[in-house]
Amino acid sequence: MKDFSKYIIIISHVPILITSCYALITFRKQQTILKVFSCFLFLSYLVQFASLLFWFNRMNNMPLLHAYVGIGFLMLALFYKKVLEGFISGTVIYSVAIAFLIFTVLNSLFVQSVLTFNSYALTLESVLLIIFSLTTYILLLDKTVKEKRKSLVSSINWINSGIFIYYVSNLLIFYFSGYFSRYFSLEFNRYTWVVHSFFSVVMYTFFFIGLWRRAKN
Amino acid sequence: METSEELNFLATLLPLVGILFIIAMGVVLLMQQFRKNLYRQKLAQEELITLHQQELLRSSIQVQEDERKRIATDIHDELGATLSIARMHLMALETQNKNNAVENAAAFQNIRSLIETSMTSVRRISHELMPQNLQMFGLPETLQSIVKMVNSSNNIHILIKCDEEVNDLPWALKLGLYRISLELINNTIKHAQAKEICLDIHCRHNELTFFYTDDGIGLSENFEKNGLGQKSIEARAMSIGGTLKVGNKKNGGFYAEMTIPDIQGKA
Repeated sequence: MKDFSKYIIIISHVPILITSCYALITFRKQQTILKVFSCFLFLSYLVQFASLLFWFNRMNNMPLLHAYVGIGFLMLALFYKKVLEGFISGTVIYSVAIAFLIFTVLNSLFVQSVLTFNSYALTLESVLLIIFSLTTYILLLDKTVKEKRKSLVSSINWINSGIFIYYVSNLLIFYFSGYFSRYFSLEFNRYTWVVHSFFSVVMYTFFFIGLWRRAKN
Repeated sequence: METSEELNFLATLLPLVGILFIIAMGVVLLMQQFRKNLYRQKLAQEELITLHQQELLRSSIQVQEDERKRIATDIHDELGATLSIARMHLMALETQNKNNAVENAAAFQNIRSLIETSMTSVRRISHELMPQNLQMFGLPETLQSIVKMVNSSNNIHILIKCDEEVNDLPWALKLGLYRISLELINNTIKHAQAKEICLDIHCRHNELTFFYTDDGIGLSENFEKNGLGQKSIEARAMSIGGTLKVGNKKNGGFYAEMTIPDIQGKA
């Protein structure tokens, strides 16, 4: 059973590879919003594969996760800033991103060491990204926003859905991880990471569709 | 035991409710910001549309004025000159035919008076189309000349107060004020049965105020706001950046009030 979980987790990295490669191939033809998002994909790709290598070599890959949470959020905040430009003040999004960055640094320095799982920062990251994605959903229903983002509405919708689904599942998994580890078996806990990988696959599949459906002209 | 587990689960669940509340609040706050920004954008858009319409109106009035100027010059220089030459020839013929019959002399006299009437009409029409006095003497003097003309009829009395600073304003503004004044005076004479007209044009604190009143019957209940004269006054007021208000005075009579802000910016 342990091997099954292991293979699932390894296989879950394939969509990241495919999506990042596709983002790299189409990068020059993409609009600025998608270029910002592609940069996030490249970062994810590098971090995920580096952490997989660490894992194979039985090294602690938590410091990578600590760095990824901060930088990844900053890039996603920049993506949302571009998506919501003209409708939500950039200052609001930048302020949230900077405040989160300070929080994650302080958390890594004083609360959850870089060698341990940074569940607080991940939970807060999930909360903030859920807020951004829900707001984007509502904004995309508005005629004016639709008009302005005309060619990118479909792509943004797919990418936003991927972010929403993954971070909601993330939030619930991280939130209940303590409860599960206390009251459920180790095997059950391993399954929660399989579920997490499943949602990661869903997210990167949605990202791929989002990039695929970008306006070709 | 069961109760303790339930309590533990509840203790785990309650913060989640808090997190969901934070998410909902975050979305609500961002939505409020969105609505505010959208409202601001729509206002800016409407302002742009209004500015564009004003610009269109201004240019259409400018075209109209240019055309009037061209027609006035053509009438004055060509038709006026032709009539003068015709009159000159007629006078020469009159001199040559001094010994002719009396009926011929009467015919000559008749033709000459017709030509002279035409010449007066040509001068009047060309002056109305493009007020030479306004160009030469400025708005206060031009308005005073109209006052003299109307007051001499003894039917109606006009009192005009106009600041000399008005002459420093751009031509389009002066012409606009002149045309509006003329249109209003014309309306009063035609429809108001008034005995007195007061017009006050003054510049204070970078703002021009135009106040026109008469003691006539005022606007009727079925006054056409979209009538041609009223429309023309409103269009002119808008083209020079003024806000026009018209109505009846409390003690009877009509009033029109227009304010033009930032007149120095228009210079």
